[in-house]
Amino acid sequence: MPNRRTFLVLTAASLLPAAGRLVRPAPAQPVDGRASAFVKNIGDKLVAVVNGPESEREKRAKLTAIIDGAVDVDGVARFCLGRFWRNASGEQQQRYTELFHQVLVNNITSKLGEYRGVRFTMGRAQQRDDNMVVSTVVERPNNPPTNVDWIISNFAGDPKIIDVIAEGTSLRLTQRQDYASYLSHNNNNIDALINAMRQQVAQAG
Amino acid sequence: MRAVIRRHLLVITAVLLGTLGGCATPPLADDRDAVADFNETDDPLEPTNRVIYAFNNGLDTVILRPAAQAYRFLIPPPVRGGIHNVLSNLATPVQLSNDMLEGKPRRAGDTTMRFVINTTVGVLGVFDLAKDWGYPDHDADFGMTLALWGLPSGPFLFLPVFGPSDPRDAVGLGVNVAMDPFTWVGQGAAVRALDWSRFAINGLDQRERRLDDIDSVKKTALDPYATFRSLYRQNRQAKIEDARNDRRATIPVWFPQLGTRDTVTYSPSTSPDY
Repeated sequence: MPNRRTFLVLTAASLLPAAGRLVRPAPAQPVDGRASAFVKNIGDKLVAVVNGPESEREKRAKLTAIIDGAVDVDGVARFCLGRFWRNASGEQQQRYTELFHQVLVNNITSKLGEYRGVRFTMGRAQQRDDNMVVSTVVERPNNPPTNVDWIISNFAGDPKIIDVIAEGTSLRLTQRQDYASYLSHNNNNIDALINAMRQQVAQAG
Repeated sequence: MRAVIRRHLLVITAVLLGTLGGCATPPLADDRDAVADFNETDDPLEPTNRVIYAFNNGLDTVILRPAAQAYRFLIPPPVRGGIHNVLSNLATPVQLSNDMLEGKPRRAGDTTMRFVINTTVGVLGVFDLAKDWGYPDHDADFGMTLALWGLPSGPFLFLPVFGPSDPRDAVGLGVNVAMDPFTWVGQGAAVRALDWSRFAINGLDQRERRLDDIDSVKKTALDPYATFRSLYRQNRQAKIEDARNDRRATIPVWFPQLGTRDTVTYSPSTSPDY
């Protein structure tokens, strides 16, 4: 008799967690799905351009269009200037934002050769604060697979990429610290930064 | 043994150079933004660090980068992958010790299964089959262990040859060498030669894997030193958080699983503005 009771108790105990899982509310699948679909769509477009047969010039034009549509470039630019954004004049802000746009496109197009043959696999999506974090794994030839998280803002309405986290490193935070260091070694002079960015753009052609 | 002492000496020299060398001048206290920047950067030894960065960069340009390029050019990708797998399999004792010191039994289990599978079916570690069989690789070193024990990283350090670091990771580097059984087994010229070959090939392998990324930073950053500093810290922080958030419970596989694994490396602490 005690044996059967023990058996019953054990069975009940092992079933409890399973029962708990049944009543747990289902996750908000539609929203996750939308952010993932957005990243998948952008990723597919980028891969198609990078691995496509067009000339470098045509690829550049296509990439610019994709970036303009999918990335909150103005917001990222403002973030990267940090506290210096407030001190900048309206005219400086405008020139900086335009240059930032060109630098971003140049940085991406300069990697075209390195990324040829790129593939990516989708991971999970989860909400973090007001944003959606969509995880992917990017595989480039000659390079170890990289964990890349895409931070999507406003994913319910008009979604935009506001940051890319590669192996735990935020692209926009790294860029902000690069600019901050450059500024601190140039008397916090925003015109010096703007000139340096102009040179970068000129060098890239 | 001599190899250990020599590697230890390198680290100690680096720390001493850092302490005795130049220090950055803190900004005036009334410029609150500048003070905040200075504290956030946490690099009081920046002038010395930049000298060591320049030294390492020179060393890299004339020796390490060309060597890594030659390695990439001469050795076909599958062979390079096999070499990388063997090296990472040989690092199992250090990884396993640190998994345990971190108090992460499931990670220690993963490391053990990886070693058993890859050493046997994977032919002495050449093939990483364990990854496809549900035992993915992860990072574990004594610097991470110290971080999980609650030790702060301390200010940024740039070590000769080894590159970006901090006092916590510099100590970790020394302890990792001491933890490695290969440091202590055997004697004689042959063993020492093997020990140094492993060290050298490991350097080549690590540098080759970062060729494109380092080139890209040097090409696009206005201040590569500051960019490497930022990347190193964020990457370390992410690995530490990854280990900290790995809260898989040690319950048998046949029992309904309660623990879930959180492997998201994205941490709000490193990017405060989301």
